[in-house]
Order: sequence, then structure tokens, then C-alpha cells
Amino acid sequence: MIKLQNVEKVYRTSSVETLALNNINLTVNKGEFVSIMGPSGCGKSTLLNIMGLLDEPSQGHIEIDGRRVESYQDQKLARLRNEKLGFIFQSFHLINDLSVLDNVEIPLLYRNTSAKERRELAREALEKVGLSNRMKHFPKQLSGGQKQRVAIARAIVGRPEIILADEPTGNLDSVMGNEILAILQKLNADGATIIMVTHDDSMARQTHRLIRLFDGTQVQ
Amino acid sequence: MLRHFFTLIWNKRKTHALLIVEIWASFLVLFGVLTFLLSNLRNYREPIGFSYEQVWSMELTNNQDTTDVPAKVESILRRIRAYPEVESASRMSSNTPFTMNNMNNSVSYQNASTLAEFYRTDESLYRTLDITMQKGRWFGPQDRSARYTPLVINQKLQEKLFPGENPIGKTIKKDDTHFWKVVGVVETFKGKGEYMNNTPAIFEPLTEKDWDMSILIKTRPGTDATFEANLVKDVLAMVRNWGAEVTYLTESRKTQHNLTLVPVIIFGIISTFLLINVGLGLFGVLNLNIARRRGEIGLRRAMGATERSISLQFLGEIWVLASFSILLGLLFAVQFPLLHVFDMDAGIYLLAMAVAVVVIYLIVTLCAWYPSRQASLIAPAVALHED
Ligand SMILES: Nc1ncnc2c1ncn2[C@@H]1O[C@H](COP(=O)(O)OP(=O)(O)OP(=O)(O)O)[C@@H](O)[C@H]1O
Ligand SMILES: [Mg+2]
Repeated sequence: MIKLQNVEKVYRTSSVETLALNNINLTVNKGEFVSIMGPSGCGKSTLLNIMGLLDEPSQGHIEIDGRRVESYQDQKLARLRNEKLGFIFQSFHLINDLSVLDNVEIPLLYRNTSAKERRELAREALEKVGLSNRMKHFPKQLSGGQKQRVAIARAIVGRPEIILADEPTGNLDSVMGNEILAILQKLNADGATIIMVTHDDSMARQTHRLIRLFDGTQVQ
Repeated sequence: MLRHFFTLIWNKRKTHALLIVEIWASFLVLFGVLTFLLSNLRNYREPIGFSYEQVWSMELTNNQDTTDVPAKVESILRRIRAYPEVESASRMSSNTPFTMNNMNNSVSYQNASTLAEFYRTDESLYRTLDITMQKGRWFGPQDRSARYTPLVINQKLQEKLFPGENPIGKTIKKDDTHFWKVVGVVETFKGKGEYMNNTPAIFEPLTEKDWDMSILIKTRPGTDATFEANLVKDVLAMVRNWGAEVTYLTESRKTQHNLTLVPVIIFGIISTFLLINVGLGLFGVLNLNIARRRGEIGLRRAMGATERSISLQFLGEIWVLASFSILLGLLFAVQFPLLHVFDMDAGIYLLAMAVAVVVIYLIVTLCAWYPSRQASLIAPAVALHED
């Protein structure tokens, strides 16, 4: 489903050069639930962003569904992100000036979906994460766990095959964290491929496979 | 899609209020300045109705001499006409073309009444100033013994007093014993020059008792300052202790134009600066706005927004705000033609509104273009990383 070959990422600023990823070779298969672990600054987010086509590798190749995407232009990349990928972030990234329902609709704006259908799909997604009673709320009126559930609803509303989650439970207590994990496991059981960055061993253990990074290099 | 963005704009209305006020205010300033400019432009394009090339104006001053003044002026006029260099010369009241002097009075006919500029002059003024007659004739010898006072009016006065009628032969009551009778209509006569609004004008003949001491002299082409000096010398030799000053109408026209153009230019400069300021302010606000919303931009990119759709979103937002501001501005602006504030054509107001709308959209687009483009170029990973 996703294949990385000799991926290297170097961040260059005027004074320093950081090798964030070093020769990563990695395949994630359809239906897998993979977790990525490693100390802070080892390149987990960078790796996830590259897999999610939010960032380009300095070297190496990325294949999605057997097709190399390096040469893709903005339009094609946007289409892939929109249709194939769903993102969940540690800091939720909800738009504060939009209601929960409007936030969840966002991915559908960038494809041809009628307003009515958008509403329906957003409602459905919110039901899946158990938030159908908070649709008219604004993000400021929600708890952290609720915000993350909105973010998950937003990630799944477009029915992507791959969900990329960057420390989805990092800002939450363990009860909330387990709830979120349970939702992700349910999505995985329903067929979604999930790649999750986490700091939590016990969570990583509940996934199919663990990838460990150290200083930009894959060690497991 | 649109509804989503309208909701977003609506929910952020408090943040946008200041921006709306700013655009609204600049729209109104622009509307005012444009009305002023366009009315001047419109006036400028309307012919003044006479020719001033080669025409000099001689101002006589009688000083202490008070005996037989009208007769002396008449003999000076006859002398001037006798020069081969002079094509035509006419006496006129002191409101000669391009001067600051005014002589206005109200005239009425039946129920209509209007203010008109009165020019007292002689039978040859239409030749001296090459005034085009539209109807009838200039007053002449045939009117001298008539019981009425002949009048020549301009078309503007005809429209005001005799709408839809032929004014020739119509009589206007002057006072209890005298009548005016319209004998001719001229097209326009804008004595203050091109920038003057075309207003009603009346020409009536001088009488033997009038002291009016301005003489307009149409010289032949090629006549120069040497003749001017001789002319003044000869005239002063006729009347002891009088004064005579000659100005060229082309010169006084320039002076008169400057009186109009200087405020126009000052207004123009001030409002240009104002608009540049507004533009820079807008630019700053939009830049800040976009900097604050980097997270949102990154998120939208991650959710499948193309660079183009990010640009369009930000441009679209500012267009919606501008449209709203303009709408508010138009509500104010239409009051001017509706309530007839200032005596001005509705057409000028409407044109000013239209131009102001276009200019505001242009400024707004120009100011939003770069920030919106920048917004679209933000790398999604970087934008998401920041907060
Ligand atoms: N935009 C950037 N410019 C320069 N260096 C960067 C940039 N983003 C990340 N880095 C560097 O790349 C390395 C990997 O960063 P990354 O964010 O992937 O780490 P991480 O494993 O996600 O850390 P954490 O667990 O703290 O989130 C770090 O050393 C970081 O300083
Ligand atoms: Mg990270």
C-alpha cells in the first residue's frame, strides 16, 4: 500500500543541516495497523509527513498503491491526500471559527460532494466517534478527548484507505487515550490501514507491528 | 463549498469588522473625490460656447473723472474699432470671461424661476467672442427703439424657464414698467471657463447711462504686444487721468483653470495617499491574518486543498468582505442622487459609484493577491508543525 525506498530527509537552514531521516526502507500493507516509536526528535513526524505526502523526501522514492508519486504535481498530490489519506494530529488542528460539523466536512469540500451529502457523511462520521450530540458546538467548547474525536471524524469522513495519526493521544490522559485507540482499532477492523506515531509502549503493543526510529534511522 | 466559506466569514465577523469599516470609509472617500473629479471632467468636455483666442480684455478706470463717463467709454470703443488690427470690439459689464466677477440675479417666467448670470453688453459681442447662435439672433439696431428690452439667453436658461417651448418672442417682466423679450438663444456660455458648470446666462444690451468699462477686443492674428502698448497709450491720451489695463483672455483662462485644478490636484493627491495607505494597511492586515492561520492552511492542504484553492479562499474572503463594505457604502452614496444633495446630475454620481466600486475591488485584489499567493505556497508540513 505504502512503500518507502531509500528515503532520506535533510533539513537545511542557513547554518545547520539536520539529517532527519536516513535511508528508510519500509512497506506498509493494506489493512495493517503500524505504530512508530522513538525518542523525541528522531524523525517520526517527518516520516509520517512524507508518507502522507505533506512533505517531500530529499532522496528516495515513495510508492502509493504501486505508483511512484515524486513527479506528481500539486493537483494530483492534493487529490491523493484528499481521497486516500486521513490525518490525525496531536494538536487536533480544528478550525476554531467553525462548528464541529463544519470542521468535519472540510475534506469533502475539496471533492465534488453536494452540501446535503456532506452533512450526512459528517453526521455519520461523528456518530462513529460518539459525538453526534456535539455537532453544533465550537471547538472551544469541547474537551481534549472530544476535540480528538472530532479530528478523527474529520479524518475518516472521506473514507480514506490510510489513516496517519501523529501522537493522537499525546495530549490526552490514559482513559481518553485508550478510547481513541479503541476507535482506531475499530476503524482498522473495518478495513483502514493505520500508521500511528506514539510514545506509549502499551499502545504500540496493541498494534500489529512496531517500527522504531533512532536518530533518523530505522532500528526495528 | 461557498456556504462553508460564508459560514467561516460570518463566524469571524468580529475580527473582520475593522476591515469592513476601513474598506467602507475608503469607498466613500473615493466616491466623493470621484464625484468631484468627474463633474469637473464632464464640465470640461462641455464647450464653453465662445472663442477667446486673440481676444484681449481692456479694463478702464475713470479715477476722479465722473463727467460723461458712458460717452467717453463709447468714444474709446469707437477709436478701438477703428484700428486695422482690431477685428471687433465690444463693451461689457465687469463679469468678462475668466474673471472672478459675478452678476447674478433671479429671473422668473410664469411658475418657473431660476438664478442666472447677467451680462450687460453691446450688439457686437457675438462677433467679438464668436458666440454660436442656436435660435433667433443677437440683439441689433432693430431693437433700439422697441419698447421692450431685447434679451439673448443660453440654452440652459431656456430649459429652466421655457421647458419644451420656443423661447423666441417670449416676454419676461423686468419690473412694473419694463419688459424683456427673448430674441435669441446661444448654445452655452460658460464665462468662467471649461470647468464651470453650465448655468443659465442672460445677455442684455447696455444703455447710454451704463458705466460699464470693460472692453473686449478681438485682434487680428499676428497682432502683438507692440500694438497693445500703442493702444493703451492712444486710449489714455483720449481720457486724462484714466487708467487702462489689458489682459489676454488666454492668460486669464489659465489663471481661472488653476483656481479649479489646484484643489482638484490637491484632492487627488490626498486621496491617492489615503488609498495607498488603505492598501498598505489592508496588505498588512491580510498578511497578519494569513500568518495567524498557517495552521488552518496546513490543515486544509493535508485534507486535500490545492494551492489554487487556498489562494482562492483567501481572495474570496476579502472579496466577500469588500462586497459587504461596498454595499454599505452604496447605501450611503445613493442618498446623494436620491436627495439631490448638491445640484448635480445623477449620472455623475452613478458613474462615480461605479468607478469607486471597480477601484476598491482592484485595490483589494491587488493587496490580497500577494498574501494569498504566499499562503498557498506555505509547505503543509511546516504549517502544521508550527502549532
Ligand atoms: N522544518 C524543519 N526545519 C529544520 N529542522 C527540522 C524541521 N522539522 C523537523 N526538523 C528536525 O528534524 C528532526 C526530526 O524532527 P521530527 O519532528 O520528525 O521529530 P519527532 O520524532 O516527530 O519528534 P517529537 O517526538 O518530539 O515529535 C529534528 O531534529 C528536528 O529538529
Ligand atoms: Mg513529532
